[in-house]
Amino acid sequence: MVSLISFLVRRILQGALIILLVSFGIFAVLRLVPGDPARLVLGPMASDQVVEVAAREMGLRDPIPVQYVHWLGAALHGDMGQSYIRAINGSQVTGSHDEFAQAGKAHVLDLIGGALPYTLQLAALALLFAAIIAIPLGIAGGMRSGQWPDKLVLYLGSAFVSIPNFWLSVVLALVVTAQFHLIPSIGYQGFSYTILPAFVIAIEMSPIFMRSLSSSVSGARQRSFVSLAEIRGLSRWRIFFGHILRNAAVPVLNLFGVQIGALLGGILIVEFIFNYPGLGLLTVQAVLQRDFPVIQGVAVLSAVLFVVINILVDLVSTWIDPRLDF
Amino acid sequence: MLIDTITVAAAVPADKTAAVSPGRRIWRAAYAEPQFRVGLVLILILIITALIYPYLTPLSATKIAVLERFKPPFFLSGGTWLHPLGTDQLGRDLFLRSLIGLQNALLISMSAVIIMFVFGAAIGLFSGYYGGWIDTVLMRITDAQLAVPVIILAITILTVRRPTVETVTLVLALSGWPAYARVTRSVTLSERQREYVRGAKILGASDLRIIFQLIAPNVLPPIAFVAVLDIARMMIFEAILGFIGIGVQPPTPTFGNIIADGQKYLINAWWVATMPGAFLFAALLGINLIGTSVEQARNKVLGGTI
Amino acid sequence: MVETLLSLRGLSIEFVRGSDRRQVLDGIDIDVARDRVLGILGESGSGMTTLAKAMVGWVSEPLHVTGGELLYRGRDLHDLRVQREVRSKIGFIGADPGNAFDPTLPVGMQIAEKLRAVRPDIGDSAAQKRVIELLDAVRIPSAKSRYSEFPNQYSGGMLQRAVIVDALIAEPELLICDNIIQPLDVTVAAQIVRLLRELRGRISAGIVFISTSVPSVAEVADETLVLAGGRIVERGEPMEVAHSPKNPITRELVARTPRIWTGDEIAGEPHHDHERPILQVQDVTKTYRKRDRQTFFGHQNVQAVRGVSFSVFRGDNFGLVGESGCGKSTLSRLLSWVEKPDQGSIMFEGRDISTMNGRERLAMRNGFQLLLQDPYNCLPPHLSVGRSIGLGLQVHGVRRKEIASRVRDVMREVGLSVDDLHSLPVGMSAGQRQRVNIARALVLEPRLMILDETLSALDPVEQSRLLALFEQLQVKHGLTYLFISHDLAMVRRVCTRIAVMYLGKMVEIADTSGTFYDSRHPYTRALLSAVPTLDANPYKPEECLLDGEPPSPIDIPPGCSFASRCPHAFARCRVETPLLREHKPGRLAACHLLDQAPANEAAA
Repeated sequence: MVSLISFLVRRILQGALIILLVSFGIFAVLRLVPGDPARLVLGPMASDQVVEVAAREMGLRDPIPVQYVHWLGAALHGDMGQSYIRAINGSQVTGSHDEFAQAGKAHVLDLIGGALPYTLQLAALALLFAAIIAIPLGIAGGMRSGQWPDKLVLYLGSAFVSIPNFWLSVVLALVVTAQFHLIPSIGYQGFSYTILPAFVIAIEMSPIFMRSLSSSVSGARQRSFVSLAEIRGLSRWRIFFGHILRNAAVPVLNLFGVQIGALLGGILIVEFIFNYPGLGLLTVQAVLQRDFPVIQGVAVLSAVLFVVINILVDLVSTWIDPRLDF
Repeated sequence: MLIDTITVAAAVPADKTAAVSPGRRIWRAAYAEPQFRVGLVLILILIITALIYPYLTPLSATKIAVLERFKPPFFLSGGTWLHPLGTDQLGRDLFLRSLIGLQNALLISMSAVIIMFVFGAAIGLFSGYYGGWIDTVLMRITDAQLAVPVIILAITILTVRRPTVETVTLVLALSGWPAYARVTRSVTLSERQREYVRGAKILGASDLRIIFQLIAPNVLPPIAFVAVLDIARMMIFEAILGFIGIGVQPPTPTFGNIIADGQKYLINAWWVATMPGAFLFAALLGINLIGTSVEQARNKVLGGTI
Repeated sequence: MVETLLSLRGLSIEFVRGSDRRQVLDGIDIDVARDRVLGILGESGSGMTTLAKAMVGWVSEPLHVTGGELLYRGRDLHDLRVQREVRSKIGFIGADPGNAFDPTLPVGMQIAEKLRAVRPDIGDSAAQKRVIELLDAVRIPSAKSRYSEFPNQYSGGMLQRAVIVDALIAEPELLICDNIIQPLDVTVAAQIVRLLRELRGRISAGIVFISTSVPSVAEVADETLVLAGGRIVERGEPMEVAHSPKNPITRELVARTPRIWTGDEIAGEPHHDHERPILQVQDVTKTYRKRDRQTFFGHQNVQAVRGVSFSVFRGDNFGLVGESGCGKSTLSRLLSWVEKPDQGSIMFEGRDISTMNGRERLAMRNGFQLLLQDPYNCLPPHLSVGRSIGLGLQVHGVRRKEIASRVRDVMREVGLSVDDLHSLPVGMSAGQRQRVNIARALVLEPRLMILDETLSALDPVEQSRLLALFEQLQVKHGLTYLFISHDLAMVRRVCTRIAVMYLGKMVEIADTSGTFYDSRHPYTRALLSAVPTLDANPYKPEECLLDGEPPSPIDIPPGCSFASRCPHAFARCRVETPLLREHKPGRLAACHLLDQAPANEAAA
């Protein structure tokens, strides 16, 4: 028990460090960008003096570390600042030229909170599809290495990995929606709008899991204790579920922890293409529009997610294979 | 990164049946597989065409030829072999543009992979060999970068600095090095424990000598294999960047901007967006088929099952 | 009444992989009866493991049965249905206890799992109870808590016992033991053999005991078969086969079994003290800090080496013996200065190594070299033989031309063909690789060579060849050797002085005859009593052999670390740590018994 708590404490501290590093990194990069955020907020028509005053009030003339500390202080209280671009009512404006309109801008946390459920739904469906594809094929490939399921994993895996996700999106939108009117694609007016984007992401993610699962199942099958188990009298089922799958699960789990970044990246692009109102779309638009507070907020959120998921993965891995010390 | 999936079998067990060098046996084992041959054929055709065709054809990838607008590909009615993939909204031949796009894509991706491999592997080697605080610091930095979706980083940087071929290459390299560092580090860690490293230390070899003369040549080849596969992945990444609009800018053709442009004409001239994509798919399929077959063959040969 | 359980009639098995085709077993006729122990003797490579597996019907790719029958109580064991029915009646114990269990589940649970698989009528808690009882019966301490521990928490000897429990838990009629003592330390192996003999008295199974050790088979079996080249070449009563073998192959096997007590002359007298020692180790201590998983930031101290002192003189062959966990591998690392001792000093030719700077230390490496055990991992796989051998010279800045010629010379000297200069180690045998290893060290012209289990991974023939080579080199170059080994027979043949290590300390140092014939430490005696031998052992196992395992190096109890297992321990032993004392000139032992009754010495 003590070792568990000690492990958690250590990992949380390490995770906090990573989150801090990430948030500072992004913060600094954004501030080093040419172009003045204050100008962005007020629009091209405002006079230089007004811009200067606004910039000073927004704290944009302070040295970067100072600005960061301010941001950090506010963030720890739950205030991640306000968007430079979007207004609370949902529209996107670049500010009026005669008044400091920052107050009317949407809060970053609200924006993120609004988009998050859509993305979660998309991610969940995508992972479900990916699991449906990767798990049966991966296991079959591992159990019958050298035979047709293994070859299928190889071919299918290579094919999926070679498909550019944006091209697939375009093709699907063309064929499934425009041609056959089966499933809708652009925007969001109901759950069915999640299906195509989730499918594209699943195609992108599944090959790596398929191959990893196949190789770890095949590796587990070849371990001495597995062949010995049959001699000792254990039934095939027992050996498969109780031993082979257990041992094969750990590398695949670890892979999952690392692939979170790729998953988020995929979500970003796919949401952008399908105009799906999730975090991905929000982020891409924010970057293209130089909406720094939003970018900052999303980066921090993704770092938090990465840390949390990796801690969970380690916990589950150690539960499955107690050799892995905390 | 595909790199994360490999269980790198760097340790070469005694192979008592070796009469031929391992390299040649791997090649032979891979060649025996049909998927390898398919991939090889694809790649050879594409590469040769990419090297020759643009210089022989009278067509231009960039000159506007309004009369030739929206010609369909050869398999649709109205299509000809002059424009096998059709033409786009400005009358430019899509096949030619795809080939040039392939040239650019290969150039950028290969350079990016070389940079990320060299840089990431160096960091991984030092981190894994020395351990201690060097390892902790380097790995924290790596983790921090891994925590941010690579695409956010890439988009951010490219919005800031003009996306030229050089910047895009550097951004791609930047996105990929952490994975190489991580994997190199973990195999270096286990390799460092092996008897021959200890043997070398007893002979008096210095750390640097051990790292570069002994560990690296043993540890890097499997990683290099996966790096080849990452070329394909980088090509997709570069295309995505182009698609969003922050890759290499038009009129230089890249798959990203070709397809992005073509999106507008999906209803009437759907081939403008889809044919170049199919071309890219074929190229990537070739690379991936070759890469995975060779990797499998290598595992079989070194694992002793062949 | 002889009840035949297993019958092999003319069984032949072939190995086929690609174009490689070999006959592994040829016309094997064996009958195994209930209540009898059948010993099968052979060399590694004679087909032993294939035979063992075949006896349980385990013949899989790339092996094929090409002829003959395998019957269990008259039923064809190759029939899968019969196999499944018969699984519960046959127990199998293999040579690799470390890989017999799933590392992610507790050992006890897995044994219970097996029990319930073959006897579904037994419930969960009943199964658990049985397993714990049996774990206890094979002398695994604290069986109840061991039930829930994982394989990596068990020592090698304990794992082998657990595998035995696993084989016996369903009360089989037939027990097949394939080389079960080979991977174990000498005293642990002796304990397992003793255990087997006890169990035999209690269960009425038929046992097949397969081994490469002539004395062990003679000790356990009722009948001995000799397997060579896939055929049975001799059958007979164990003592007869051991002492008057008829078949020439058997004769060779027996001849190669070392005679420890009645054999050749001891290797000569050690050199005298008036010379300065070439290597002097004084009070060397090394402790490793391990994270204590049970506390937040706590650490545990693993005391690997605790105050070791000894001297090696020029021209000597010094032997350092001990079993797993005694600290000899750590000591070896310290001697090669790959790690530094926490305390104490190591002096080479009179100079303390820790006071040398980098360049001096590099030069010192010219003076003494260390050869490692594992022939397959000790050479970098991607460097050619020539480059591996030349590596040391390269490090010392020798010029290329000179390197080339010196490498060639040394290759000839160790018996390697110069044609192999550019070959990769990948195709070479274990013996050849060790020769490359030797060449690599020799080319630096050292004066002291430390051989850390260098011969342990080789087969006996290769071992003798290399020992002869060592002798040659010693005469030619005036080398001094320090052998670190667990093989007492080899050490007896070759060494002039022997030191015995236990739990990080030296417990006895003496010349060879002193060690073997006048040993004063109970651990040394236990070790000697456990070495399998065909001649009469003056140290009786019943008196000397130990129970249990050594204490963990983390929690070493005060006083003599051997007290927990010593048959002669008394109160003082648990309080005061005995020091190494000279009881006769040149012979030291660390035991309180030395103080008692000096009159006993006259009787020795």
